[in-house]
Amino acid sequence: MAADQKGARKGTVIGLEKEIQDITNTIERFGTGTPDHIAIISEPMGGRSTIVSEIRRLHGDKVHYLPLEFVISPDSLPDFSTIKEDIILIDNCRFLATRRIGGFDVLDAFLHAQISSKKLFITTWNAFAWQYLSAVMNIEAYFPVIVSIARMDTPVLKQMILSRYEPGEIQFLDEGATDRSMFYSLVHKNVHLPLTKKDISIPWIKSNFTVMLRGMPRKKHIQVSIEDVIFEKINRIARGNPGVALLLWESSLNENTISLASIREIPYDIDLDTNESFILTIILSMKSLHEKDLSAIAGSEMDIQRVLYRLVQQRVVRDDAGYYSIPPFALGPVIEYLKKTRRLW
Amino acid sequence: MADVLLPNVTAELPLKTIDANLILYIILIIVVAYILTWLLSFVLMHISERIGWYRTSVTMIIPLLKLLVYLVALYYIIIAIIEPSLTQMIAFSGLFGAAIGFGLKDLFADIVGGVVIIFEKPYQIGDKVTIGDRYGEVTDIGIRATRIKTPADEQVSVPNFTIFAQPVTSGNAGDLAMMIVIDLFIHPDSDPEKAMKILKEALVTSKYVIISKKYPCTVLLDDFPFYKRIRAKGYVNDLRLEFEFKSEVTRRAWAEFRKAGIRPPAFVPPAGGDPAHAPGEADA
Repeated sequence: MAADQKGARKGTVIGLEKEIQDITNTIERFGTGTPDHIAIISEPMGGRSTIVSEIRRLHGDKVHYLPLEFVISPDSLPDFSTIKEDIILIDNCRFLATRRIGGFDVLDAFLHAQISSKKLFITTWNAFAWQYLSAVMNIEAYFPVIVSIARMDTPVLKQMILSRYEPGEIQFLDEGATDRSMFYSLVHKNVHLPLTKKDISIPWIKSNFTVMLRGMPRKKHIQVSIEDVIFEKINRIARGNPGVALLLWESSLNENTISLASIREIPYDIDLDTNESFILTIILSMKSLHEKDLSAIAGSEMDIQRVLYRLVQQRVVRDDAGYYSIPPFALGPVIEYLKKTRRLW
Repeated sequence: MADVLLPNVTAELPLKTIDANLILYIILIIVVAYILTWLLSFVLMHISERIGWYRTSVTMIIPLLKLLVYLVALYYIIIAIIEPSLTQMIAFSGLFGAAIGFGLKDLFADIVGGVVIIFEKPYQIGDKVTIGDRYGEVTDIGIRATRIKTPADEQVSVPNFTIFAQPVTSGNAGDLAMMIVIDLFIHPDSDPEKAMKILKEALVTSKYVIISKKYPCTVLLDDFPFYKRIRAKGYVNDLRLEFEFKSEVTRRAWAEFRKAGIRPPAFVPPAGGDPAHAPGEADA
């Protein structure tokens, strides 16, 4: 697709400039002392791959890239001392641990190797796997630099998507929706917690005072850009997830034309028992997992095939030749459901 | 005696004629109040079941609303009978209180107990409590009694006055998560470090557990003459699943113990024999 090529050429890190800068600063600081290992954390499709690509583009000659594709067994953990580069970028570190008895041994070995090494480790983590490991084994103690990718706000999302096209290339169809005033929009604010090193992202209602003041006293007809209304809807459905928003944009686009009506929201009515919720949490934390790994986590007490059938039947999980993952458009509803039922802490 | 003290007031109480209509009216008020409290309980319980994290926050207002409805109903019944002025109302309240004190003191004590429970909140609907020798989930706090559902699925009605006479233990104090203590006993020759690691991993990988700074978990070792005790403390994410949580962790830990060559002791301490034994602990 032409837009992808353009996207690769320009604007790929829009909205992630601060994160890239923090990582670059840490890499440039890295010398002979104890390295400040980096953890890059985001929700599935939240922008980790974009950051990884950018790090490799900027520092490719100094970085050894090691993507993990599946659950790592103790004997398949690489010997990092044999790697000649001083910076090791390990992608998809969620595969270092599984939620079962004995499932933390590989991660323990990795963390021990990391803190014993003089090399700088840059690691990427699924946010939900990270939250679990943080609660269970205080994993953040091993990473002085934690880069959490927050959910994206609508103006940044609009800039990111439109940067893939030439000006005027996309036509926004107005179907009368611009008559609606946009008094409020949902944004995500990064808040620094006192006495901790953590930034947390909280949803925030932003009032569009200009629109309010213009509209209220004189009952003036308010004209809001159809572009803004369309991107507001896309971001609301995607819940600030740039990967999901981009997919929704592409699926709603018809020959470079988009309208509000073409942006479809898939309704989900999720109703799960304890086993199903547990397995869904595991799949969410691992992004994609093979049935045999899920079976090992479920143990003998659980009928994993029945559980997976139920999850697929409710459309919250899809089966790709034995690998189970959550469809992009189901991510938001699944996360909300699991938070409500206390599966995500 | 009341006639001597308050001759004018009682003499002037404008009592209405008690006829069939008045009796029907009073019955109607009681029925409406009863239906209203039942409806409020039903709706709020239904909402609380769907609300996830905040289940107990919703259920805690049920007793308060019930009390409010019954007070309003009582008010309407009183004015339907006597239409009192403020002075008469005060005098009537004194007489009414005296009557309750002599004839209905147990019922009155239960009602006062109910009011104390509502405002002081020693427990709430949805809590796991031990009142006297009864343990279970509080399903309803009424004006007269608290209903508890025991692990054997029995409905026990405990008079509200009991809170004045006996200690009340709430396992979760209004929270949905509850700490569970799981004791496993191993042979004194078995490797305790390996056993602790296995039990900790069985705990933190459970499908029922919740772990955070607010809900920490820990595993402790204690040495006894004929056995070693490995004690795990962790929170179940929904107190209704406490027994499933204990059972799952115990079963998975023992399966791994066997693989690791960790044996049970020859002497197993009796349940409750340990002074630190809490109700409902799982023993192996």
